[in-house]
Amino acid sequence: MSQAIALIDGNNFYVACEQSLDPSLVGIPVVVLSNNDGCIVARSPEARELGIPMGQPYFKVRYELEKLGVVVRSSNYALYGDMSNRFMKLLAQHSEKIEVYSIDEAFVQINRPPDSNLRPWARQLRALAHQNLGLPIAIGIGASKVQAKLANHLAKNISTHTGIFDLYTNKDQDFWLKTIAIENVWGIGPQLAKWCRIRGVNTAQELRDMPNNEIRNKLGVIGIRLQNELKGKACLPIQIISPPKQEVCVSRSFGRPVTNLRELRQAVSTHIVRASEKLRRQKQHAGAITVFTRTNPFKPSFYSQSATTQLEVASNDTSILLKASLPLTKQIFQPYRCLIKAGVIMQQLQNSDYLQTSLLCLYTPEELRRRQRLMNTIDQLNKRYGNGTIGWAACVPKPNWEMRREQLSYAQTTRIIEIPIVHS
Amino acid sequence: MQVLLYRFMEILRSSKSLKAKGLQVLPPLLSECVSAGFPSPADDYIDLGIDLNEELIRHPTSTFFLRVSGNSMNGAGIHNNDLLVVDRSLEPHPGHIVIAVLDGAFTLKRLVLKGTTLCLQAENPDYPTIDLQKYDNIQIWGVAVYSIHSLNIIKSSK
Repeated sequence: MSQAIALIDGNNFYVACEQSLDPSLVGIPVVVLSNNDGCIVARSPEARELGIPMGQPYFKVRYELEKLGVVVRSSNYALYGDMSNRFMKLLAQHSEKIEVYSIDEAFVQINRPPDSNLRPWARQLRALAHQNLGLPIAIGIGASKVQAKLANHLAKNISTHTGIFDLYTNKDQDFWLKTIAIENVWGIGPQLAKWCRIRGVNTAQELRDMPNNEIRNKLGVIGIRLQNELKGKACLPIQIISPPKQEVCVSRSFGRPVTNLRELRQAVSTHIVRASEKLRRQKQHAGAITVFTRTNPFKPSFYSQSATTQLEVASNDTSILLKASLPLTKQIFQPYRCLIKAGVIMQQLQNSDYLQTSLLCLYTPEELRRRQRLMNTIDQLNKRYGNGTIGWAACVPKPNWEMRREQLSYAQTTRIIEIPIVHS
Repeated sequence: MQVLLYRFMEILRSSKSLKAKGLQVLPPLLSECVSAGFPSPADDYIDLGIDLNEELIRHPTSTFFLRVSGNSMNGAGIHNNDLLVVDRSLEPHPGHIVIAVLDGAFTLKRLVLKGTTLCLQAENPDYPTIDLQKYDNIQIWGVAVYSIHSLNIIKSSK
């Protein structure tokens, strides 16, 4: 039985999530902005038809969007994260193996039926994603990851393919590979694309048929692997288990420049609180903390600074981590700098179940257990009644440097008080 | 004694793994202080408690919650401010109470077959029946499977 690999992803995923829970957004131009209401990162087909470009800074097109009647939404990661989880679970139910590749795309492995035709499977999966989640998806099928990625590109960009394309069983494989520019091949960055074009290799098909010693000299074994994958020999396996996270980073841009230590400290504290929650959720303890900040790199006298401290005992206790981070914040601060971003990185993560204990531990085991219970209680209260129900005094409830999210929709699938309304 | 301890660990582990799936599990009826005397005869019969998530949500990936606003479905026992459990994976059939998308908003009605035409019918004489053929673009968003009605004994978090 031959194996096939499919790359499945959501079309305009963020916009589709918004539309899925808010039917008033269906069929009209909608765009979603990046963090801090920076740039346009997702567009509904209607918005695309109006010629609104991707990646455009919001402030530049704000009035134009208003004039055109485009609905604007800030990034609602609570919603997108939940919808992504549901999407991945659906894919897992309908495949042998799944590798979650990003918030809206995954590689899956499936067995080819005796007649090799995977179209019925793909059609059913598309229908399910649409009915169960309201998400439009594209499915590209091949014999390898690279083929699957190219097939996905063809599924999405050629309208007659209606969101499904199987490169492996296609009779005109060469024809389709010729239509794909070298820049669109997975694993070929801008530098490599230039190198290829100089050698007259302009399409995926030409890369596949390039003499392999030439590619080996330039790219080594990675190039050979890429070429084999293009030929349909799978070299990159599906990675089911994502390796445990090595670091946890929480950082945000400020809604406006910050110039004083007090506000920087508030921001760092807020990030520490978030990061420790993440650590507890992932059942990890941090052995070291790094705190960093920077000014705008596109303005003169760019400043960027970070500081790290080693914890005596690995921890995920918010108050311990907060205490450790405060002197670091002082170290990285410089007066008269217009800071636009700050963040924290939790490092040397250890699994909470197999912790190395230390004789230097400040707390007795009984105290540790009590602190752990306290943290759990706080996490649960915040989960139930919304973030910030229980906070730390070092943070401010509604700081005015906070990230801009002026057009944020509700957490419609994850918070009971924000669920959508049905009229009866 | 060792067997008992092993069992305790097992119960702890199983409740942990359930929690990891996002389900709430009631604590097992075994206390941490294991007495030195006879083991409780109930130990072998410990259940994990009743989990409403498991009971009310058949398909977690396609189940959503909605809040009811209005009185058109009172006859079906669905009242203003009730919490509705909606499963989008179920195929809507006549007789089901469905969430339809009408003029860009969610509407709750019963799907009924009148002769050969499908209608959305209220369960309250004050509200009209909606003929699906008169609209060219009605989508059935999901099927309501449970309605949770508060009796206002305990003050809700709202």
